[in-house]
Amino acid sequence: MIGRIWAIALNTFREAVRIRVLYGIIVLVVGANLLTIVLGQMAATDGARVTRDVGLAGISLFGSLTAILLGVFLLYTEVQRRTIHSIISKPIERWEFVVGKYAGMALVLSVLVGVFTVAMLGMLLLQGVGISEAILKAVVLSWFEVMIVAAIAIFFSSFSTPFLSGIFALALWVIGRVTPDIEAATRASSPVIQWTTKITLYIIPDLHLFSVSGSSVDGVSVSVHGDFVSWGYVGLSALHGLGWIAGLLALAAVLFHRRDFA
Amino acid sequence: MSVPAIEVRDLRKTYRTPFARKKVEALRGVTFTVETGHIFGFVGPNGAGKTTTIRTLMGLIKPSGGAASLLGHPIPSRAARAKVGFLPEAPYFYDYLTVPELLDLAGRLFGVPRAVRLKRADALIERVGLGRARNQSLKKFSKGMLQRAGLAQALMNDPELVVLDEPMSGLDPIGRKEVRDLILELRDQGKTVFFSTHILSDVEAITDRVAIIARGQLQAHGTPAELVAKTIQGVELMVRLAADVDPGELVTGADKVRRIGDELSLMLPASADVDAWLQRAHAAGAKVISVSPRHETLEDLFMREIASADSSPAAMEGRT
Repeated sequence: MIGRIWAIALNTFREAVRIRVLYGIIVLVVGANLLTIVLGQMAATDGARVTRDVGLAGISLFGSLTAILLGVFLLYTEVQRRTIHSIISKPIERWEFVVGKYAGMALVLSVLVGVFTVAMLGMLLLQGVGISEAILKAVVLSWFEVMIVAAIAIFFSSFSTPFLSGIFALALWVIGRVTPDIEAATRASSPVIQWTTKITLYIIPDLHLFSVSGSSVDGVSVSVHGDFVSWGYVGLSALHGLGWIAGLLALAAVLFHRRDFA
Repeated sequence: MSVPAIEVRDLRKTYRTPFARKKVEALRGVTFTVETGHIFGFVGPNGAGKTTTIRTLMGLIKPSGGAASLLGHPIPSRAARAKVGFLPEAPYFYDYLTVPELLDLAGRLFGVPRAVRLKRADALIERVGLGRARNQSLKKFSKGMLQRAGLAQALMNDPELVVLDEPMSGLDPIGRKEVRDLILELRDQGKTVFFSTHILSDVEAITDRVAIIARGQLQAHGTPAELVAKTIQGVELMVRLAADVDPGELVTGADKVRRIGDELSLMLPASADVDAWLQRAHAAGAKVISVSPRHETLEDLFMREIASADSSPAAMEGRT
């Protein structure tokens, strides 16, 4: 089983690294990180703050957008180009194929997040700023966010076109990131709206958990530039994320299992 | 008695169109058996249900009814797929891979150990004639080369049963001959080969059994000899007659007459008195070249079965 999943993952990795847009994204994010040195010197506050903000935003924003891009295309093109015919006809279960595709994507996205992180840490070191534990925690949280977004994209891609899957995944990502704001906005509304919002937010991954810098956690203000969340928080959020990933992949596998590849 | 390589019983597949929800019956109760060690040709016009049957057997499509088994395992079966090699119709593979990489992927999915994988891939690449293209990506392959790569990946697990959907498609006459030879070689190794095709001469040349499918139903099933040698359709009388001589009464009563230069071909009815015709030919001053009974060919049978399927009540219903 592991061998078959790994074979699909490796092939997906090979396929994804040939997508030229990825290199454009890497250039863009690394370029933005380089720019933070100039921006940092112009900033009223310390330059490292700008580097951390831009670096983490780059990981979260471009990591998630790349996850959507890969997620909506890689599974769909297998069906569209019928490459799946020669794969599914081999002794591989369909869920193994879905998990393999996801694992391959996760591999590519991890490399991407790794490159973005190295670029950010490099800029911090150039500015003579050490690598704090807070920044490492923030990177781990962002990585989980990217992995969940990839699972969301794969889930939609298992039954929809890339365009619609992209729209749905983007919408979930945006809504997932502002869940506390949505809750706060409906606090003064009628109980019906409050309950509807609450139920809706339960079925949407709470991605805000993974980008908490600048907001309050359990009534305490946290920031990647100062006091940040504990490793315990990172662990619990990771478990929450893993639950969503497993759930979304299971749903994607069920939907994929029901499909005919005519 | 050995387990059949393929057993299909009353297999049905009905699609529904996305919006109108109209029923489209792709398979209407297909039944046949493929014995182990045979080469089985699956013949039919476009849209007959050949590919739907094959994709159902390979687990790509779920049947709406009926049952099928591969090597004794009811479909869809992972255990059966481990022993089956499959070449899809007009195969499209990952175009960024080279042939060795494609075969490596196939081998990994079949769970073939690395050392065996490498050795078998090398042998298959040479066997299908892609040795000189082994470092090229599949993107640069012609249709025929892709077909060969597809055949190689179908054999990576040293299968007991090989299912080939239109394996001769896109190949030149040399390529077709090579595929025919490969199919015969596979049978000689004790493997069962099930293939679909439009090319009837290939079917006649190499198959042990044939099934003709049209409009989602099996029209005929048997050995090529059983299917076509049941009756004599007529007698062909070839005579030589001076080009300027009018054949006159000699051609009266013939079903078909063809004259090329001084050679005259007469297709006589199966019930014709051949001795009387020979006497008429001598009387007309013609020299008899040959007299040969005309059996039904697979092509005749194919055309007849297709015509009969097209005029069946089910077909008429489909048109209304």
